[in-house]
Amino acid sequence: MTILAPTSTTTGQASGGTTLRSANALAQRGLRNIGRLPAAFVPAMLMPIFQAVAFSGTFFAITRIPGFPTDRSINWYLPLACCMGSGFAGIGLGFSAIRDLETGFFDRVRMAPAPRSALLLGPLITCWVRVLIVITAVLVVGFLIGARLTDGLLGLVTLYVAGLGLATIAAGWGLGLAYRFKDMRAAALMQLVLFMALFLTNAQAPLAIMSGWLHGVARINPFTNILRLARQGFLGEVTWSNSWGGIVAIVWLSTLTIWFTNRGLAKLPK
Amino acid sequence: MTDSPIVAHDLVRHFGPAGSPVRAVDGVDLEVKRGEIFGLLGPNGSGKSTMVRMLTTLLTPTSGKATVAGFDVVDQANDVRRSIGVALQDAAIDPLMTGNELLNLQAVLYGIPKGDVRERAAHLLERVGLTGAANRLVGTYSGGMRRRLDLALSLIHQPTVLFLDEPTTGLDPMSRLTLWEEVRRLNDEGTTVLLTTQYLEEADQLADRLAIIDHGKIVQLGTPSELKSAIGHPTLLIAVAPADHDAARATIAAFGELRPTAEGTLGVALAGGAATVAAVVRSLDDAGVKVLHLELNEPSLDDVFAEATGHRLEGANAPEATDAPVEAPRRRGRRR
Amino acid sequence: MSTDVLDLASPRATSSVRLAQVASMSRRSIMEMVRQPALLAPSLIFPLFFAALGSSSFGKATGLPGFPKVDNFLDFAAAGSIVQGVLFGSVIGGAALATDIELGFFDRLLATPTSRVGILLGRLAGAATFGAFQAFFFLLVLIPFGARVDSGVIGALVIIASAALTGVAFGGFTAAMALKTGSAEAVQGSFPLLFILLFFSSAFFPRQTMQGVYGAFANVNPVSYLVEGIRGLMIEGLTATNVAEALLVPLAIAIASIALALHTLTKRLASR
Repeated sequence: MTILAPTSTTTGQASGGTTLRSANALAQRGLRNIGRLPAAFVPAMLMPIFQAVAFSGTFFAITRIPGFPTDRSINWYLPLACCMGSGFAGIGLGFSAIRDLETGFFDRVRMAPAPRSALLLGPLITCWVRVLIVITAVLVVGFLIGARLTDGLLGLVTLYVAGLGLATIAAGWGLGLAYRFKDMRAAALMQLVLFMALFLTNAQAPLAIMSGWLHGVARINPFTNILRLARQGFLGEVTWSNSWGGIVAIVWLSTLTIWFTNRGLAKLPK
Repeated sequence: MTDSPIVAHDLVRHFGPAGSPVRAVDGVDLEVKRGEIFGLLGPNGSGKSTMVRMLTTLLTPTSGKATVAGFDVVDQANDVRRSIGVALQDAAIDPLMTGNELLNLQAVLYGIPKGDVRERAAHLLERVGLTGAANRLVGTYSGGMRRRLDLALSLIHQPTVLFLDEPTTGLDPMSRLTLWEEVRRLNDEGTTVLLTTQYLEEADQLADRLAIIDHGKIVQLGTPSELKSAIGHPTLLIAVAPADHDAARATIAAFGELRPTAEGTLGVALAGGAATVAAVVRSLDDAGVKVLHLELNEPSLDDVFAEATGHRLEGANAPEATDAPVEAPRRRGRRR
Repeated sequence: MSTDVLDLASPRATSSVRLAQVASMSRRSIMEMVRQPALLAPSLIFPLFFAALGSSSFGKATGLPGFPKVDNFLDFAAAGSIVQGVLFGSVIGGAALATDIELGFFDRLLATPTSRVGILLGRLAGAATFGAFQAFFFLLVLIPFGARVDSGVIGALVIIASAALTGVAFGGFTAAMALKTGSAEAVQGSFPLLFILLFFSSAFFPRQTMQGVYGAFANVNPVSYLVEGIRGLMIEGLTATNVAEALLVPLAIAIASIALALHTLTKRLASR
């Protein structure tokens, strides 16, 4: 029986991985799993592509409404599709968490002396990478069917920022629900709330041409600002006034949902 | 504070509504001494797994205190985690990863220095006999292989205290024996082991001391032989020719209380224990009795269990007996 | 055990017995749905939600060229909502059938003297009933908000009948899928296909306003004509064209899908 060289664990005590190293290891696991379970990832990528194509095709004529900010329906709907895709990538984190809870693997991770923050940061990194992939894929298709940037590459920056922010918000929501319900019942609630949040906005039409109850709701919904941040590169100039609202919304909503997740994680042993 | 690696004092865990809670663990005192293998024996739903989950910081006790490796399980949870290895009831592994990847992840999470990881992983894989399968997805492993990997994962940081929750449930006899060997080897190297089981033989074979748990309470505590001899004497069964029957009866009656037996046989509870068998045989011989058949039955742990709880353990693991949801609600997809 | 799907020649299957079997299978299908309202909620709530969103978002769109003459967007959207709801609801019966197969209950049914067709017809009866209910429910909810049915009570009845037929039509396809795959998950995977059928049609916006490939697709998509038939009954009146579109389109699809379902059923039985 070989005796291994004494390390920090000669006293039988592990030091526990650092936050960064642990988060990185968990992130790598998440990224590997994407490749190994394509059934969980491919639909998530096809859905926003379909949305961009379908919405811009069906509502093609909407651009002719007086006051519509662009004459290409794809310019209007492409950022929305990217945002939906990002939001659902965030929720996907909740789905993976439920899977881990059901197999018991999550217990193993929980028992390790790694910092709790790594348990959130690692999967979040995976989520961000997924979002980058999804948005890029949707952009490629969008440009192929006629989308055009109106203020150069800055428009792409704001789109990606909005997407990453939405994914973070949705991830906090999804994980928080996963830790509380611990099974697939949480899935429907995750999706429903995200859907509502993203659609009770100027998702389908600009505020200016909206009428009725939706106008009032959309005006106070913080997600409207995030959509505005995402879209501006395809509608006109990228300006600070179009951006700051979305950035503020991303910051406080992420803080809220991440707090929600941490509470759920802390209550797991109870 | 004692030197014992595992100490629990009046540990309680309730589930469910405050008005009518399910008392999974109902006031347990426990002390596992350094270097021993301690067995926690009980049927499904007795509270074994809940105990383990509390001691390994996965569950917070409703009340009571426990320390593991000298650290409080609630206030010093992270210190506890650094000191223990745990292999839970359902081998808690990710089917989409390979054995190697899992070990590497575990090593990182436990802070094993980068340079040591590969060597240690390879060593552990060899130890549990999974070197060949290390690069296959764990989803392709058999149940026995998963358990062995789970054990390897629990040892990555060379803990001195090891928790094994039903380590051989669902395994074939060969795998079970292999695992027992491994547990003994670990113990010989100095690891303190707390293992829970529903198998009498496992408790009998492995445990230095054991506690019988039923409905959340410890009902018996001691070494296997202490417990067995405490409840009664071994029974000597003999078969003799009908002509010798009366003589034999008179002879053995001197050694203890006669026991009712099947037709044509005689039985006596040996007051002096198994050691007196030789004397019995000599007396029978002196009395001219020809013994056709001789059998010595030790009281079993099942007898111990039945005496302590009022029901048998072996029969208690039939599906009907697990209806009562005393155990923590289990949301696992794989085993019911 | 006979593998003939059409057990008509069987001496046991007199017509009244067969009818009773279909009736009991239908009742079971319907009760299953009634007892699981959470299952029905999405196909009842979502179309209404989208109609509401659309009315607020696209209110000004009704003036665009290519748009039919309507007072408000809801007038236009209602028909699309009904068809959307029925299409989504059609997955329920198929998924239930797949679950029966997964759990082995389907085999149990086959071991009884129930006619094979009866099992299928029972499912479809459930789909028809739910479709009719959905149409009724949507009309009831949308009319107070501004939708109208210019063709009167008769038109409303035609719409309800159309929805029932559509339920059968798409229920047949999901049933065929269930019989082919035996997996509820696979049946639910057909949702995207339904989405495509709806989006590339007149359900959400007039196909006359669509361009290029979409327009072409929408022009050949039978769902377009189905929706236009129902819409016509609501905003134009009781005309032969509208009634024909509303009834004949789903009828044609239903015939095709029932044939497919029967064929898949036969193949499944033959391979046992």
